Parts: sequence; structure tokens; C-alpha cells
Amino acid sequence: MSNYPKFAVVGHPNKGKSSIVASLSLDSSIQIGNTPGTTQVKRGFPLKVDGEIIYELFDTPGFQRARRVFGWLQEHGDVPADKRADVVSEFVFKHKENEQFRDEVELLEPILNGAGIIYVVDASKPYGAEYEIEMEILRWCGQPSMAILNLIGEEDYREDWTRALGQYFRMVRTYNPMTARHNEHIELLESMAQLKEEWTKPIKKAIIVLDELYDKKVDESIDTLVNYMVEVLSLVHKQKIKKEEVSPEEKEEAKLDYRKKILQLEKKERQSIEKIWNHSEIEKNEATLALERVGLFSKESASIFGLTQKELIVSSVATGATAGATIDLLAVGHTMLLGALVGGVVGGVGAMFGFDNLYEVKVLGKSLGRRELTIGPMQNLNFPYVLLGRSLYHASMVAKRSHAVRGNLDLEESTFTQELMEGENRKGLEKLHLKLRKADELEEEVLEAYKKLIKKIFLKLL
Amino acid sequence: MKNNTANFSFKSYLDLAQLLTKYRGTHEENRAFALSQKEKGLKLLSLWKDKNLHRVLDELDSFKYLHYLTLFTSLFGFTLLLLGFFTGVALLSYSGSQPVNVIYLLLVMVGFPLFSMLLSLLSLFTGNIGAKIFSHFSPLYYLEKVINFFPFAKQIDFSALPFSSTLSKWIFLKRLQLFSFLFALGLFLALVLTVVSKDIAFAWSSTLAIDPVAFQHVLSFLASPWQNFFPSAVPSLELIEVSHYFRLGDKLDANMVQNADKLGAWWKFLAMATLTYALLLRLVFWFMMKLGFNQQLKKEVLRLEGVKRLLKEFSTPFVSTASHKPEQHLEIKNESTFLATDMFSDKYASLLAWNYAEKTLRLLQDTNKITATKSYVVGGKNSFAQDKAIVDGLEGKVLIYVKAWEPPTMDFMDFLAEVLAKDSVNAVEVCPLGTANENYSSNASDMKMWLQKLETIHSDKLEVIDV
Repeated sequence: MSNYPKFAVVGHPNKGKSSIVASLSLDSSIQIGNTPGTTQVKRGFPLKVDGEIIYELFDTPGFQRARRVFGWLQEHGDVPADKRADVVSEFVFKHKENEQFRDEVELLEPILNGAGIIYVVDASKPYGAEYEIEMEILRWCGQPSMAILNLIGEEDYREDWTRALGQYFRMVRTYNPMTARHNEHIELLESMAQLKEEWTKPIKKAIIVLDELYDKKVDESIDTLVNYMVEVLSLVHKQKIKKEEVSPEEKEEAKLDYRKKILQLEKKERQSIEKIWNHSEIEKNEATLALERVGLFSKESASIFGLTQKELIVSSVATGATAGATIDLLAVGHTMLLGALVGGVVGGVGAMFGFDNLYEVKVLGKSLGRRELTIGPMQNLNFPYVLLGRSLYHASMVAKRSHAVRGNLDLEESTFTQELMEGENRKGLEKLHLKLRKADELEEEVLEAYKKLIKKIFLKLL
Repeated sequence: MKNNTANFSFKSYLDLAQLLTKYRGTHEENRAFALSQKEKGLKLLSLWKDKNLHRVLDELDSFKYLHYLTLFTSLFGFTLLLLGFFTGVALLSYSGSQPVNVIYLLLVMVGFPLFSMLLSLLSLFTGNIGAKIFSHFSPLYYLEKVINFFPFAKQIDFSALPFSSTLSKWIFLKRLQLFSFLFALGLFLALVLTVVSKDIAFAWSSTLAIDPVAFQHVLSFLASPWQNFFPSAVPSLELIEVSHYFRLGDKLDANMVQNADKLGAWWKFLAMATLTYALLLRLVFWFMMKLGFNQQLKKEVLRLEGVKRLLKEFSTPFVSTASHKPEQHLEIKNESTFLATDMFSDKYASLLAWNYAEKTLRLLQDTNKITATKSYVVGGKNSFAQDKAIVDGLEGKVLIYVKAWEPPTMDFMDFLAEVLAKDSVNAVEVCPLGTANENYSSNASDMKMWLQKLETIHSDKLEVIDV
């Protein structure tokens, strides 16, 4: 028999056993439903490191005919306490092919094979004496056991449950798989490590492994996010043109393609983040990145994760970016500035900061006879904040999402600038964003500094 | 300590870059590969590339590019060797009336090489922009522009090649040293052949009024690398003085004619100067450029998209938490055709409370003002014999209270089936109740769960009440 720790997550139907297993095994593909009997057979979820199993969790069906099982045990169990597990084994052996006790056989088998018992109850509902039969059956198995109080609903009957469960289980812990974060996961594992002396070492190892895995996911997320920022901020779209000058249609087509490329990059980045955190199958409610609105001084800027007029001016002035922006504007964006001023679309200060300078269309190669227009890199100062805000928000929501949660991830617009605008972050970001636009000349140190800063903000959001 | 840094060749680098655009493997695969090998770091990466290169089914870019580079290098190498040779022959052409000016030769054999080496050094320390400017001084730059119009060069998409402008600089500088070496070799061969086959009178002449003593100092300085082991290749002051040539006059001066046997002695100095400055020093530069190129190549390998991830995957344990057993999905019906009524009947023959305590049953009876002849607690901690005795005594209309939040287990379904099977029972109403805090009202999702389950019984006697 393999000697790594095993844990069978058992209990009444619909008390969140599969949710707990999904949360602990970081697997969002497990079927979870409020229809009793969603889990039909036991499934093992081993934590493997390079193929070596550290521990294994078993998701099991709920008790369906506990009274009948207990009746059978009592009938055949006039034995000393140390022989009771044999009676349970005999029950499983005799009823292996009996459809009536399929669920009980499935849930008792891993326990009889040495798995520790994790008994799950819904502590948001009142305690009922009918649970005592299930607990009695589990006690007969003679394996180390603990109970988990899962709070599915809004009420809280934990006190009653703890009093009752304390009589049957060595430990009673609260764990809500829907909201549990990494540290709660680790705390639960630490409790599980105490169930049996031999299990302490492997579970401690598992804790180290899971901590490292978590850190790795954070680092991979930061790498993905930073690469995406560099790619988008330095993006240059090139397109051939037919005549000497760019036609309005060609200009529009180029702008459309440029936008498409940015949206594709954002989609790719999000998919990568979701893959890193094992959430590849989630559906999202979210607003598309609306580039048209990026440059406007309005509440909308803030609502799509960019900085507000005030925040951006403060950050630009603080880092001396004003001069850079003005130079940019004089060199390449003068017509846009004029247009902005004449049109009065945005205020004078806004135009100075190149807020309207979203698409700068340049025509190249006239002398060589190969005419092409280029768009990018995006000069708008608010644009990096919009991108970064959206990506950090998405990444943090995905990272925090429990694998037990089903349903859409809500990423609808909300204000998200506070963390970005905090003192040092603000200064650092403004400086680095200017450098990121030149991907070819980007130094490793700049990239590392940016990663460090983004990681600091990201960790704060988790 | 074990050295884990492989010397990636340029071909390996290009192949790896191409492979990474098509295949990167999974963490599990890459870690398994790393565990199966003794090597680490870049050496391991090189092995990984060799193992997976077969996945690049198309022609390797490295083949096309290196073919181009080899062809280009061979073509221009040979051309420059010839050019060097003929330049040497031209510079050493001696008609018998005018001596060969040593200063010309020194300019071409020592001055130009030293100048181009200086440019190479400057381009190293001035970054890419500097290199771009200095590259314009080289004829190679223009030759390459010309050759790019040839059909074989058009087969290569240079913009798709993975390396940076810095690596391009190193490639250019390395080739520049090679071509300069070949040009100097041509010169050297021309000098040796001409000296062997002709009797040349060397002299020196300059518009500037150079003092022979000062000139000797310069030449001695140039000859310092070999003056200890080959002193005859250092021009003496006497040689310098006798070979000073003035262009005015229609014939050689008498002093030169008298010392004609000595004028040829310059060749040793010229040969050693070419050998030292144009050939050996160039080799040193070529070696330096090769080292610099290899260092840059190593950096570029690490910068290739996907390499850092691969190296991390090699060294990071692969953690898996997934189940290998496929899930048996329960077909979940979203809607139920079974409908609940919201009214209790006036009177029941029996009231049963499933999994409730006796005290709660009495409370429920009072709250809902149910009139029932008999009432019992069933399920819970009752034994089957107790429940059976209750079922045996049932008749008429039966109301069963259940906890709405508890799913209908098979224990309950078995019990309900027994009640429904009794002929004396003509109707059974199941009423799922909420918690006391919810005023015993069930919520919609719990009710749906009960309706879906009870629907599977298909009994005309059964009804569900939703209060």
C-alpha cells in the first residue's frame, strides 16, 4: 500500500464536498451542483511533484442510506472497538456490487484504504441529529478525522455544529471554499498535517510546494503582464498605401487594424493569465477596451482604469514627464494639438499632455517608392494606465478566484486607480512607461524595475 | 564546479529561435526531460533543442541564412584577397625609373589596418548608433547593399531573423576583421612575390619636410615588436637617409644610385610591419570580436522569447493536482415539470416530520395550524423498525414535513416509496420547510431541488406544497 497521506472528503449530499476538493486541488473543472448526487463516483486528486505523490484528496459521493448502513453495522458489529473497522470493511466487501449502497461503498473505500476523514457540513444551516448516524459510521472506520464547517448560506450555526462535531472529530475548522485564498488553503493543510504523526512531514512538504507554486504563478503573471505592456506600448502598425498621400479610408483602415492588434494582444494576455491560475474555462462579464475614450478628460477615464485628469497631471509633473510629453507633441503631434485646440474637444492642458494624440499616422518611404503608413507607438499618457489598470484588475480577480466558484467572473468597469497612484508607484510608473515605448532599446534593468513595481502593486491587490 | 553554459553556435541559436516559434513543450514535458539529463542551464537547453528540432518541419531558417552568410563571406573574402594582392602588386610596381614610396606602402599596410581597427574599437564603445555610423566607412557595407539585390538574398526575410541590432553589429565586426585579414594577406603575398621576382628600389618621399631622424624614431617605434629578435627588419638611420627621395629632378640622385644595393632592404621592415599590424594584430582583433560575438550570442539566447520560461521549467518541479480519473457527469435537469401547490389541505390523517425533533414537530403544527389525527417524527435517529411500524399504521391523507435545505437522500426516497405503496394511503403531500430564521419558508432553489427529485417517483398520489 502506498504510504503517502490520503484524505477522503465525505459528508451529507450537497454540503460542498466537491467545492472543497476543487478549492484544495486548484481544479475548476470539477462538476459542482446543488442537485444531490452530482458526484457519483469517488475521484482522487493527487498532489504530485515531478510525478511523486505527496498527498491525495478524494472527492466522494454523499451518504444516501446512512441509516441502513449503520443498521447493518450494528447488526454485525457486536465486536470490540478495535474490530469495528473490520465490520465496515466487511460491509463494503459484501455490498460492492449492490447498487443500493453504491454511494456508501464509494465513500467508505478510500477511508478503509487508509485515508484520513474530512467530514464536511454546511454550518449556515441548523444542526440536525440525523448527521450523528453518518458520524457514527465514520467513527467505526477508526481513521484520523477532522470536520470542516462550510458556510454555504448567510446564517451562522457554527457554535451548535462545533459542539456536536467536537464529540466525534479531533479537529473542527471553518473553511469556505468559495472565498478561500491561498493562506487559508495552507492553514487547512497545516490542520490536516496534525491528524497523524506520519503525515506531518509530507504535508509540510506539500505546503512548501504549494507556496512555491503560488509564488511561481505570481511571477509568471507579472512576466505575462509586463511583456504585454511592452508589446502594446511599443506597438507600431505598418500598412502599405496606394498613392502619394494617405486616403481617409486607408487611415481609418489602419486605425482599425491597430486597435484590433491591441485588442488581440489583450485577449492573449488574459488567456495566459487565466491559464497560469488554472482558470482557462471561466466566462467573463467585461467591457471591451474602448480606445476612443482613453484620451478624454472625464469620469470615464477613471472608470476604465485610466487615471483621471488630476491624477495624471500630478504624476506627470512629479516625474518631469511634462517636458517629454511636450517634446513628443511638438515633434510629432502638432496637428493633433491644433485640431484639439481649434475643435475645443479637450481643454488646453489636456492637449499639452497629448491626451488626444491617440493615433499618429506617419507616411514613410516616399523617396524609395515604397509608401507605407505607420501608426504607433501610442503617445497618449493615459493609455498605459488604462492598459495596466485593466490587466492588473483582471489578473488579481483571476488569481483570487477560488476554483470552487462557478459562473461568470465579473470584470465590469469599476474605479481602480488608488494602488497605481500611491506615491512611489506613481513616480516609478510614469518614468518607466516612457521607456517602455521603445522596446528595441529597452534595457534589462528597466524591465526588471518595472516588474518589481508591478509585482508590488499586484501583491497588494491579492 | 560544473560549467553549465554551453557555447551556442550561431546555427544552434537560429534553430532554437525557429523551434521556439513553433514548439515550447509543456512544463510537465520539459521538467521530465530535464530530470532525464545530467546537464543543466544552457547545455540542457541545447540538448532540448536537439531533441525537438525535428518538429520544425519546414526548411530551417539557419540553413538559408548561413548559406547566404557563407556565400557572401566566401565571395567577398576571395575578392578581397585578390584585391589585396593586386593592390600590393600595383603599389610595388617598379619601372626602374622611380622607386617605390615606402610611405604609400606604410599607409596601406599599417595605417589603414590600424585605422579600421580603431573604428572597430570605437563602434564597440559607442553602441549601436556608433556602429551604424562607422559601418558606413567600410566598403563592405555598400557591397552588402549591392548583394542584397541578388536573388539568393531575396529568399531571406531579414526582418524575421531573431537577433538584435547589437548581434548584427558583432556579426559585421567579426566579418570586417576576416575580410581585412584577407585583404592584408593579399598585400603580404604580393610583397613577398614581388620581392622574390623583382629587384625593387624602395624610397620614401613626402611633401612634408620630415627629418630622417624623426622618421627613424617613428619607424623604430613601429618596429619595436620585432626589433629584439629580428633587428635587420628595423630600418637604420643610414637606410632612411640614403633612401630619401625628392620628386624634383628627372633621375635618381647620385647618393641613391650609389647605395642601390641597400634600397631593397626596406622589404624586411615592410613585410614585418604587414605581418604584425595587418595580419597578427588583425587576428587578435578577430579573436576579440569572436569572443564578443559569443558573449552577445549567449545573451541573445537568453533573450529569445520562451527561453527564460524553458529554463525555469527545467529547474522548477512540476506540480500537478488534477485527477486522472475522468469525471462521470450527472445529467442535471434545469427545469422540473412537477409543480408545487401553496395550500395545505383542511385535514390530514397523519402528519410526519422527516428528520425533525419531537419538539420542532409540535411547534410546526402550531405555526401552520395543521389539523392531523396522528403525528410522528420519522427518519433521523429512528430505527428502521420504528419507521416501519409508523408506515404500517398510516392511512388516508398524509403530510410529510421535510427540511428544504437538506437534499432528498435515498433514505427519504425509500421511506416515501413505502408510504406511497400503502393502499390505505390515498394521498401524500410533501412540504419542504425553511429554517426557523426564515419563518419556515423554503427558498426557490431548495424547492426546485425537491421538485426535481420527487418528480422521478411518478406517483399520482404525490403532491408538493410550497409555503
